[in-house]
Amino acid sequence: MKPLPPTLRTKKRYILVGIEPPGTGADQKDFYHAVADAVTSLFGDVRAAAISPAVISSGPDYVIIRCARGGEQDLRIALSTVTAAGDGRIVLRPRATSGTLHALRRRLPEERPDEPEQPAEVHFGGRVYIARRYQGQKVDLMEKGIKSQELLFLTQNDLEEL
Amino acid sequence: MTIADACIHPYPEGDSSLRRMAVEAGELGFDSIVVPDGTPLIYSGVRVIPAVLIAEETVRAVSGQLRKRGNGQSLVMVNAGENGFNRAVLNLKGVHMLRNLHLTRKQSFNHVCARQAADRGVAIDLDLYPVIHAAGRTRQRVLVRFGELIRLYSRYRFPLTISSNARSVLDLRSVEEITLLCSLFGMEEDDVQAALTTVGGLLNPPGPVRVLP
Repeated sequence: MKPLPPTLRTKKRYILVGIEPPGTGADQKDFYHAVADAVTSLFGDVRAAAISPAVISSGPDYVIIRCARGGEQDLRIALSTVTAAGDGRIVLRPRATSGTLHALRRRLPEERPDEPEQPAEVHFGGRVYIARRYQGQKVDLMEKGIKSQELLFLTQNDLEEL
Repeated sequence: MTIADACIHPYPEGDSSLRRMAVEAGELGFDSIVVPDGTPLIYSGVRVIPAVLIAEETVRAVSGQLRKRGNGQSLVMVNAGENGFNRAVLNLKGVHMLRNLHLTRKQSFNHVCARQAADRGVAIDLDLYPVIHAAGRTRQRVLVRFGELIRLYSRYRFPLTISSNARSVLDLRSVEEITLLCSLFGMEEDDVQAALTTVGGLLNPPGPVRVLP
């Protein structure tokens, strides 16, 4: 089959979006559902169809979302209203918009070097948490357990004062 | 220039420590955050402005709380109520901000209140939490309400503030995201910038020039 000439193809935009907290365990399908639901909830089916959001790639702390040209601003607004993906609470922070995937991939966050070994277990408020340190002074605490683990967001200074 | 999130709730009300909130707010483009019952602090380049949050149903109770808790160093925020209550609160000395107007009835803040707020320099707070977290009819009602407030604002130019009411770092939004969210109810980018810088002037309002001997 002869491919459609470039002038007749629908123009796309690609948005690089940061995921916080990184490594939530949600997969691409979860992100797609979260974004599609947010767009539909905010702008309705007609506008969602025009925007046509699609998740085309993801990593532990980023996701690349495609949309129709002209829909990127509405998509960014809808991304601000995403609060969960899969079972985890997240926030999506748009980092860059581009007309080509090639340009966007150059702006992907670099793999972070492993943090030095730190005590993994932290006792806080009578509960046991697993500490996860990243980006210098930030420390995320995840309650040890199987179900409905509580998340706490602290800094290194907070931990030292415990 | 102070770019401030006008209300956040760190641990123990939320799941993020005050310092972590400050770090994240700094990364998102803020240089100040307002914290109810907080202590003055500068952390990671972000100034923590303490606030007094008054949630009473009668003007008398609000006056009592103002006398008891208003110390001149903290921003005083009062939860809005019916029209008469709001008009009386706007006349009270020491009130800096009227908030939660989206939870009140349509006529609770009309052109009379708008003029009063402009004359007295009391800021009206736009809480973005329901815009981000609610859906369906609830969010529609909030957007309509904020749209009405923006219409009054464009006529009377009373001070506006914008708050995320974040209880977690995951609830904080960047200045750019806030600008985009505010476009949903017809707020212009310049007005958003002005609203984000309002907090800095509320504690130190410009007064008449005094000639010192």
